[in-house]
Amino acid sequence: MKKTRGFKVLAMGMAFAMAAMSLTACGGGGSASKGGATTLSFGIWDEKQRPVMESMIQAYEKTHENVKINIQLTPYKGGEYWTKLEAAATGGTAPDVFWLNVLHAEDYYDGGILLDLNDYLKKSDLDLEKNFPEALVKSYNFENKQIAIPKDFDTNALWYNKEIFDKAGVAYPTDDWTYDDLAAACKDLKAAGLDEGVYPFACPIDFQTWYYPTVYANGGWILNADKTETGYTDPKTQGGIQCWIDLLEEGYSPTAAALSETLPDAMFGGGSLAMVLAGSYMTPEYTSNDAINTKINLVEFPEFNGKEPNVINGLGYAVFAGSKNKDAAADFALWLGSEEAMKIQGESGVVISARNDAQKYFADSNKDLNLAAYTNHSSEANPLPVCKSVAEIYDVELEALKAAYSGEKPLADVCEQLKTDADAILAKNKK
Amino acid sequence: MQGTTKKKIAKRQWKEWGEGYLFITPLLLGIFIFYIFPFIQNFWFSFNEVNKFNVATFYGLNNYIEMFKDKELWRALGNTLLYVGITVPLGLALSLFVAALLNTKIRGTSFYRTIYFLPSVTMSAAVAMVWRWIYNEQYGLLNAAVKALGLSPHGWITDPKTALFMVMIVGIWGTVGYNMIILLAGMQGISRSYYEAAAVDGASGIRQFFKITVPMLSPTIFFVLITSVISGFQVFDTIYMMVGKANTAYRSTQTLVMIFYRNAFDYGHKGYAAAISILIFSIIMLVTVIQMIGQRKWVNYD
Repeated sequence: MKKTRGFKVLAMGMAFAMAAMSLTACGGGGSASKGGATTLSFGIWDEKQRPVMESMIQAYEKTHENVKINIQLTPYKGGEYWTKLEAAATGGTAPDVFWLNVLHAEDYYDGGILLDLNDYLKKSDLDLEKNFPEALVKSYNFENKQIAIPKDFDTNALWYNKEIFDKAGVAYPTDDWTYDDLAAACKDLKAAGLDEGVYPFACPIDFQTWYYPTVYANGGWILNADKTETGYTDPKTQGGIQCWIDLLEEGYSPTAAALSETLPDAMFGGGSLAMVLAGSYMTPEYTSNDAINTKINLVEFPEFNGKEPNVINGLGYAVFAGSKNKDAAADFALWLGSEEAMKIQGESGVVISARNDAQKYFADSNKDLNLAAYTNHSSEANPLPVCKSVAEIYDVELEALKAAYSGEKPLADVCEQLKTDADAILAKNKK
Repeated sequence: MQGTTKKKIAKRQWKEWGEGYLFITPLLLGIFIFYIFPFIQNFWFSFNEVNKFNVATFYGLNNYIEMFKDKELWRALGNTLLYVGITVPLGLALSLFVAALLNTKIRGTSFYRTIYFLPSVTMSAAVAMVWRWIYNEQYGLLNAAVKALGLSPHGWITDPKTALFMVMIVGIWGTVGYNMIILLAGMQGISRSYYEAAAVDGASGIRQFFKITVPMLSPTIFFVLITSVISGFQVFDTIYMMVGKANTAYRSTQTLVMIFYRNAFDYGHKGYAAAISILIFSIIMLVTVIQMIGQRKWVNYD
């Protein structure tokens, strides 16, 4: 009698303990082989791209019957995706294949969690150099090791709301507009008397979509080649930033403070902006917005200093070095760079496929819109400046520029201090 | 004879203890894995430079030295102290007031209790989003009211001068419900006979409140005080959600935990972040010890 009671207690205790253990092992991705089929996990962050990723997976699974791929979606916002990925990689449970952007590539390469794809590429017929823009391939190549397959890229263009232009009797923007044309249109729109709360344009403190393109077009620079110094004190750099502050001071845009509360994308989506600059990734958002989608179109980024301003940034498919199914994962990642996969992605119109022969599908995905504005000059676009301390640099840059955008301090003074602070960060993180 | 019984008891007791420990093993394991081990690891990390993937290199006291040189950190400490200094007393007074009101026999008390408790069970992210819209300069409810009064609208959470106070309002609003429930429970434990005796002696309601309710409730008030001070020092989620990086009032609403979060998760300086967390821990510890000593003077346990 007594003995059985003891066993019962022991069994119950064990059951509890095991339940607790299994709790600690929860979450995470990992991969498992079940009944001969290989299951791969695929980490992504964009809900809008889930459907197209799913159709790509379907196409892959059709020809690879023994492979099953599960999507793991973690939102990008607030760094959740990266926080989770870091923790999972440290614990050995990162997704087998996952999205990687240029911003995080070097850190992840240094962390040793990315599989070197060179051998797989040699064996396959996927020729990266021949089929992809050089800038994108190089962004994912460290010490001659290719650590990701370029997925897509984004550039910027000027969107406008036809209804507001019509009402004000101002001519629509065109592909060969210059910055001065933009400023003149802002003036005309304002003079025509817009509805209350409606502005001609928006000038938020936004690096990728607003001031980096003009900084580069103006001959300025942000980061030097060996990533030891920043170029904020260069007058040419400041000229590329000042041009947006000028428009702001003319009252063509809501204040930078107001724009930090309500993003320009939201204002444009609500019909409160006649024009806005936006990355190509905003296209599905605008076209699915019933309030504006019938009255909008886009043109190329207005020329500045006689040059075509733009910044190009992109994503890649990386393979987790600790994956239990490395070969299968690498095979899938390489396939994602194939003509077939890039075509499916391009035709969805959600993003611009990185592969040269698939870029056209994006522009063709919506005949009503001038989407070629994004791809026309993509070969001239500058890559986003990145280094290991870039998250910190972007933050001090944003914080410093607030004073210049609000008119508290002149831009030159702000940039003086900014350079000192940013260079100190570079020096500190280098050691 | 005596010896054998003793031995038997000891054996039985050991067995009982064993069973007891067996039952709490899962919990102990959990506490060790999720609290004790990370605490020790964090302490160790604060003397190291730790990269994103937890590779640590010894760094001595440098993290602490950097911390003392970090102006932003000092500013955040100031913001945090201001936040605690204002939200805790105000929040406590308000909870006490609401609890006293809800302790009286009025119609629909359960309805009011639910209303006041609602913020405590609502996700802080959702709370932050709603308040963000209330405070919005262009489309917000608050400015709509301000305009209706004929005044000019204000950027409530983008103006560095007002932002922290607007955030404090949300903080107080969010904690009143929970504290009120605890205080209410305490109030209902006070015997009616005290009040009856006081009423016979002619003491007013306000006098009764300060001479009977507050002293009798002092252990509960003390508990609420300790927990609100601790959670005040740890304030993070609502502010993080309400005031984004691009916000012009970002620096003036930044708290210690936000600096910790940024260093740990945005910049990958986990060692430095660990040192900040040790600082937060030490401050909370110090303040709590002071309160524990101070309580002897005013907390009534009879």
